[in-house]
Amino acid sequence: MKTITGYKCTNCGQVMFPRHERCLNCNEREFKKVEPTKRGKLLTYTVVNELPWGIDERGRVLGVVEFENGLKAMGLIKSDKVKIGMKLTTGWDEVRYQNGVRVYGLTFED
Amino acid sequence: MIPFERHDDDSLVDMLAAAGLRAMDDAGLGDRPVDAVYVGNMASGLFNHQVSVASSLVDRLNLMPAAADRIENGPASGGSAIKNGLLAVASGYYDVVLVAGGEKMREVIGPRSTDIVACMTHPQAEYIYGVTLPAMAGMFARLYMDKYGITRDHLADVAIKNQNNGLLNPYAHIQMKITKEGILTHPQAHINNPVVADPLHLYDCCPVSDGAAAVLLTTPEIAKKLKNTPITIAGFGQATDTHTLQERDDPTDLKAVTIAAEKAFSMAGIKPADIDVAELHDAFTILEIAESEHVGFFKKGQGGEAVASGATQIGGKLPINPSGGLKARGHPVGATGTAQVVELVWQLRGEAGERQVKDAANGFSLNFGGFGNNVVAFVLRRDA
Amino acid sequence: MDMELEGYLRPPEYPMAPYPAKVVTLATGAKLVIRQANRDDVPILLEAIRPTLRVPRDYYDIVGVRLYAELLGWYRYRVRDEFCLLGQIDGLLVGIVNSRMFSPEVGISLHTLAIERGLRIGAHLFASKMEHHIEYLEQDEVLITAESPIGFRRWMIEYGLIKRDGQHELGGATPYALTRDLYFAAKHRLVAGERPVPPELLQVAEKEIIIATEDDILEKILGAKRKVLQ
Repeated sequence: MKTITGYKCTNCGQVMFPRHERCLNCNEREFKKVEPTKRGKLLTYTVVNELPWGIDERGRVLGVVEFENGLKAMGLIKSDKVKIGMKLTTGWDEVRYQNGVRVYGLTFED
Repeated sequence: MIPFERHDDDSLVDMLAAAGLRAMDDAGLGDRPVDAVYVGNMASGLFNHQVSVASSLVDRLNLMPAAADRIENGPASGGSAIKNGLLAVASGYYDVVLVAGGEKMREVIGPRSTDIVACMTHPQAEYIYGVTLPAMAGMFARLYMDKYGITRDHLADVAIKNQNNGLLNPYAHIQMKITKEGILTHPQAHINNPVVADPLHLYDCCPVSDGAAAVLLTTPEIAKKLKNTPITIAGFGQATDTHTLQERDDPTDLKAVTIAAEKAFSMAGIKPADIDVAELHDAFTILEIAESEHVGFFKKGQGGEAVASGATQIGGKLPINPSGGLKARGHPVGATGTAQVVELVWQLRGEAGERQVKDAANGFSLNFGGFGNNVVAFVLRRDA
Repeated sequence: MDMELEGYLRPPEYPMAPYPAKVVTLATGAKLVIRQANRDDVPILLEAIRPTLRVPRDYYDIVGVRLYAELLGWYRYRVRDEFCLLGQIDGLLVGIVNSRMFSPEVGISLHTLAIERGLRIGAHLFASKMEHHIEYLEQDEVLITAESPIGFRRWMIEYGLIKRDGQHELGGATPYALTRDLYFAAKHRLVAGERPVPPELLQVAEKEIIIATEDDILEKILGAKRKVLQ
């Protein structure tokens, strides 16, 4: 399944997403690619009713998830009962329609 | 500055020019040359389909051949423009510098404005999900409120205080008194005050405004020869943090705010307790509370109690946002940082009319760029 | 008036249940009384609408001129099954909405005019119109269209209206439907109001529909010209 590419510093092990040219911890520049784990924990979320141009649905839930390997990322939360700390399963789906193109990103479900 | 509101009849450069002239006339500049012009503006290319607006402003005001640059730092463009102007004068290379901050956001419809502002967020990690600045603030607010026990009541206190202050400020966009009953406690208050990005509601968010503000910066020697009381920028600070919210070590820790404020206080040689009046960046009510703690006015977790107790009212121990803040004065994004400094100059000169803070001698402003990843702070001082 | 002739010219009317007045507490703490207008109120309403006819900003002119025509038509018995709701604060008229029963089952939303801005008065009055169609006139659905982008966002997106084929009677625009299900799903979130209206508030509202001067109305719609100190 397609997913985001995270980066793990080969020198100090710092895990990062999105991309940085220099490690946030030790400034080294060599990284190993890592991916989100199948499960993650919800760190924070919001329910958005005022959406930007191009998105018409109300009540979109966005949140930040921490994966089991330390990687963290924002994504679309597809769940009815959202609670901080809940465990979610990582997915990949269309998240936005931008300039005529379907854009895909991280989605999370119970 | 010019009043912030919806300026259908004025272009961005019209507003910058009007504010620029007011600053020049306030100083009695006359025919004295201006060496450099800095314009703080976030997104004229997107909102108004026009770029290089600093060059346009020089032309409008006949300030050629002054150097001119547009400075962009998201909602801290106004503050960054002043910082750049200050460095220009302090370097010794430029003697008289005009700084103007402005934005014309109402040229586009609401959801487009939301989208343009959202362009600050990370393109691959945040923007694609339809995140908005209120959504970023919502995610932050949820964690901050849980961690420190800040309540919706505290947020309402900030909104009510600032809208009351706005009624005393003829330059403020929002001239409307709101009540706690109307926005929070009435059983149907949620209909007047719907969720924008949970847990933030409509009255927790600043309006979308048009407007411009300007200051003239110069050396102490030249200032003596100009009209009106000069106010000293005693200290400034700027600091950055990670772009995305998720990569902050602790997303409730606004490191850039703390560091920028520390630098400004240290340079000015004073402490937070020495400040008589502050203009903080309340794009969202939660931010006024969080910033008041991070800059050192109140201990972490005490900012809510401070506003509830009235300590931050105009007549209180430490007035915050006597202008009405972003909530009521409005937030034309590029203008705000400059308008905060204009307000402090008026306060320190004793020219703030009905919203005057008594005997204000030391002022502080904080301009919050991105979602807290690029922050500019100033300490202003009235010399005896 | 030749009533025999009028008998030919006036269309028949469905019986319409009355709209019970309610009061909404606004963000400012002010009390907005929403009540049904009588035909006799129309001349004064036309006075209040007239200044909007020359304000193109925010589509006030097109909403104003059409509302003017619809209310005048109702007043002169040339538009059938129309109702009009008024918003008043301390007797001052702050908003007008109107609508029609197309059939016993289907309503047609006509116009929403907010004279006082920034207080969600238009939103409250629009919600009241829908409340009347669905709850008191007991219709199955209401067909809605919007002339202004503000209206479109408020109604089509906030209520999640269903796009329909065909033409809305307002110039043939695309109709969007509010069904009973959609109304009740949105009611808690969007329809405010308490009944009965406290007698002293209702008395003030019913005694006189106070309209602001033309200058004041224009200022309310366009925003005040600021006097600044420096």
